[in-house]
Amino acid sequence: MAGKGKFIFAGLLILAAVVYLIVTNTGSTAHYFLTIEELRAMGDRAIGRNLTVSGAVLGDSIVYDPTIPRVTFTIVQVPADPKEVERAGGLAAVLHAAVNDPDAPRLEVVYNNVKPDLLKHESQAIIRGHLGEDGRFYADEVLLKCPTRYQEAVPEQAGGQ
Amino acid sequence: MLAGVGSLILGLALATALYAAVAALLSLRRNDPRWAESARNGILSVAALLGLAFLLLLAAFLTDRFEIRYVAEHSSRALPFYLKASAVWGGQEGSLLLWSFLQALFAALALTPSPAASGGFPLPLSRRAGEGEGGRGVGVRALAALLLNLITAFFTGVTLFLSNPFAPAATVPADGLGLNPLLRHPGMIFHPPALYLGYVGLAVPFAFAMAALIAGEVENWTRAVRRWTLAAWLFLGLGLLLGARWAYDVLGWGGYWGWDPVENAGLMPWLTATALLHGAAMQEERRGFRIWNLLLISFSFALVLFGTFTTRSGMIQSVHAFARSNLGPYFLTAIGLTLVGSLALILRRRRLLEERRPSESLLSREGLFTLAILLFLVITGSVLVGSVLPTLTEALTGRRFEATPEWFDRVTAPQFAALTLVLALCPVAGRQKLEARRAVPGLVGGAAVAGLAALSGFTRPLSLLGFALVGMALGTALTEIARDVLARSRREGENPLVALAVLVDRNRRRYGGYIVHLGIALLLVGVIGTRMYPLERNLSLTAGEPAQVGRYTLVFEELRQDLFSDRLATWAVLSVYRGDAYWVTLTPRLERYANFDQTVTTPALRAGLREDLYVVLTGWSADGATATFKVFVNPLASFLWLGGLVFLAGGAVAFWPSTAGVRLPVPQARRRAIGNTVALVTGLVVLVAAGVAMWGPGHGATSQPSGRPLPGQVAPDFTLTLLDGSPFSLSDQRGKVVALNFWASWCPPCEEEAPDLQAVWEEYGEKGVTFVGIAYKDEEAAVRDFLSGHGITYPVGLDPTGQVAELYGITGVPETFILDGEGRVVRFYIGPVTADQLRADLAGLGVR
Repeated sequence: MAGKGKFIFAGLLILAAVVYLIVTNTGSTAHYFLTIEELRAMGDRAIGRNLTVSGAVLGDSIVYDPTIPRVTFTIVQVPADPKEVERAGGLAAVLHAAVNDPDAPRLEVVYNNVKPDLLKHESQAIIRGHLGEDGRFYADEVLLKCPTRYQEAVPEQAGGQ
Repeated sequence: MLAGVGSLILGLALATALYAAVAALLSLRRNDPRWAESARNGILSVAALLGLAFLLLLAAFLTDRFEIRYVAEHSSRALPFYLKASAVWGGQEGSLLLWSFLQALFAALALTPSPAASGGFPLPLSRRAGEGEGGRGVGVRALAALLLNLITAFFTGVTLFLSNPFAPAATVPADGLGLNPLLRHPGMIFHPPALYLGYVGLAVPFAFAMAALIAGEVENWTRAVRRWTLAAWLFLGLGLLLGARWAYDVLGWGGYWGWDPVENAGLMPWLTATALLHGAAMQEERRGFRIWNLLLISFSFALVLFGTFTTRSGMIQSVHAFARSNLGPYFLTAIGLTLVGSLALILRRRRLLEERRPSESLLSREGLFTLAILLFLVITGSVLVGSVLPTLTEALTGRRFEATPEWFDRVTAPQFAALTLVLALCPVAGRQKLEARRAVPGLVGGAAVAGLAALSGFTRPLSLLGFALVGMALGTALTEIARDVLARSRREGENPLVALAVLVDRNRRRYGGYIVHLGIALLLVGVIGTRMYPLERNLSLTAGEPAQVGRYTLVFEELRQDLFSDRLATWAVLSVYRGDAYWVTLTPRLERYANFDQTVTTPALRAGLREDLYVVLTGWSADGATATFKVFVNPLASFLWLGGLVFLAGGAVAFWPSTAGVRLPVPQARRRAIGNTVALVTGLVVLVAAGVAMWGPGHGATSQPSGRPLPGQVAPDFTLTLLDGSPFSLSDQRGKVVALNFWASWCPPCEEEAPDLQAVWEEYGEKGVTFVGIAYKDEEAAVRDFLSGHGITYPVGLDPTGQVAELYGITGVPETFILDGEGRVVRFYIGPVTADQLRADLAGLGVR
């Protein structure tokens, strides 16, 4: 029994260590995942935190200066809940509705990096970064997915740190 | 017509799979070999039918049958033959069909061979064939047939009813949309099938494990399906490596692994399968681990289903995911059934699974294997938690948190480190406890690798700890091999190399394992280097203006463009200097596909042992004079791929059947020997080909004979005869500012800059500034015509063979070098220069 106890003890120790790793890192390096609406609701409390925001890209708003390089664009509120997306007729329909809704909350994004290949009208952007004091969102990383025309969004890791 | 036939075949396959499942059940219930025979025929028919469906779809792709929607959406007439073929699995429907077919094929391979020919699978399907081996094995095989057919039926049903590749198009387009450009890469042709082979392969050990559990035959299943587990694990590993390499070669973000949920979906079953291989080795040595192994195979199979769920349900945020989401609930149900069913079975059979064993030390071989399996499980658990973190945190706290790559790195790195420590200790663990004396080589190896890394400039403490752990693993593994080899060599009087070959041949699994461990250790070196010492810069470069990144100097020369029928290709030419010396010319590309409104970046890569230089072209100004680049220096990246190849070679060694201890009749033994040789040669050819593909030419890297002297360097001396007959030697010009202009009479930009050069010459010629025109590979008559035509009065000489031009590494005309009084390059211009630029340079040198 002493033998078995040792293994159970070691196992529990490992498990505890891993749970500790997961919990602390979720506190420090994980990103708070928000929709634009929720971000707006947070107000100033959102400034400076690690955040991930998703939204539909407004094609006309994309401005790219390749010499810096910097790209700025505006994203529009889309629901984050997959069930809600499904009820609304799928991701493509939701994105299409979002960009054509002048009343939906919007967010201006600044990305000091190269313009990603998939950044275009009605693509879904998942943006990691933080909210600046000026109300603009400063992105460290932009992940994109465009459900139009192609079923499979191609793998694209835009940007790094 | 074609669409109808395809769907019909799928329907037949589904019905046959269900029939075969029932027949297998009846063979068991009624104890009737005729039902077993019928099940066997059914299994073969399913494989044949799905193979036929796959061939039909392939034919539809090759003959551009756009009346089928899936073909229209994933192919086009202009695609080359091999891409049309690989487009078959370029989307969800086709990949599910391929999956179903492979599933049926594996079921047939695992279940139908007669026991005499099946070698590794001694469980007979029918009682008649297996009478000598006792009754229970019969049940296991029939039950496995039942389960495998149900799995095949599930995938076939999903393909037919929810994701039918043969669905007709509403309107028949004249041409298809074509294959997504990012998927037009050799890596993408092999990556998905390799992963599917891995996924599908895991279903075989799962079915046998569950069958063994139901039949109450809990000890022998691991041995019976050992090679299936190994093959599935090897294919998963191959798929992951190919995917990583594809990302590195094609995606142009400088990395190879982004902890995307879909990547994780492939990694998780690989991790649990790795644990299973270790547990199975223990079980086969009669050392327990029965419950572990059943849990591990159940988790592995559930994770395979979870992987499909992730990619296809659309319920998990991933950039890889297929967008449509009607498959989710079905896969969730399948996952639930797998987990609940297998756990319930294990609980019901817990009496059989109990083993009374003397207690072992934690640091014994069994103890360390247990620790390793635990670690594999918690790593898998961590990755799973990270993949579903938004959903999980929302359920727990009402707020959604998302795991970043940093999260995964930080959570898993300590666990991988612990696993490496266990790996380092394992070979030195005795049956009962650790033998301290045998740990010395590990410590030496750890110190050596960490020391070497520190000397090479990798000095961050955490990375040194990682290198030390890897060194320990390498040290103990190599010492163990060396010890065995030397012992045998002394005992048998053999050459050590012969002794090594004999040992590997006789203990395939053990030495395969050692080689795999060596590969993993090398791979970890690459992981530590690339993850802990990344260097990334965004550069905006003007032609001819050098920029420094790490120890490299990059000079952007020019942009070139080529218009193809479907795309506009643009590439930049960059010469790269390492230290002061010219090293390589890189040409990163960017292709814009009009049809897809999509750009594809092809990075230029120069790999080295210490680090890779990786350059991506990201944009350019309208006039082409300025271009932007992303430059990555990836330390030790080559070790990733080197380790990957070693890992695959080790897996292949472990997989190949051993001839040791088997006495075969002479003709059969000879056939076996020929087969072994062919396999060995094929394996070596594949490894060499992979090596050439990764480190050989291509990747947008070419070498010129020499590069330009960089600003600050002394310009190479030369002598030539000027047109007026007088000799000109650069070394005679010390103390004077020199402008060297390489040009040719046939070149329009040279004509454009000629008046500017002449104007500046007239202003500064008398102030101690020397101008020399060097006519590159030109005819004297043409040169004289040009000079008189443009009124050029500064000295010009001919470089008929291009010797001087080569000395200066020029890649075209015109190019102009400005040298100071000590003969050092101050600046060079690639392309035409203007009078204002020249005046500014001369003023900068103090000439007034």
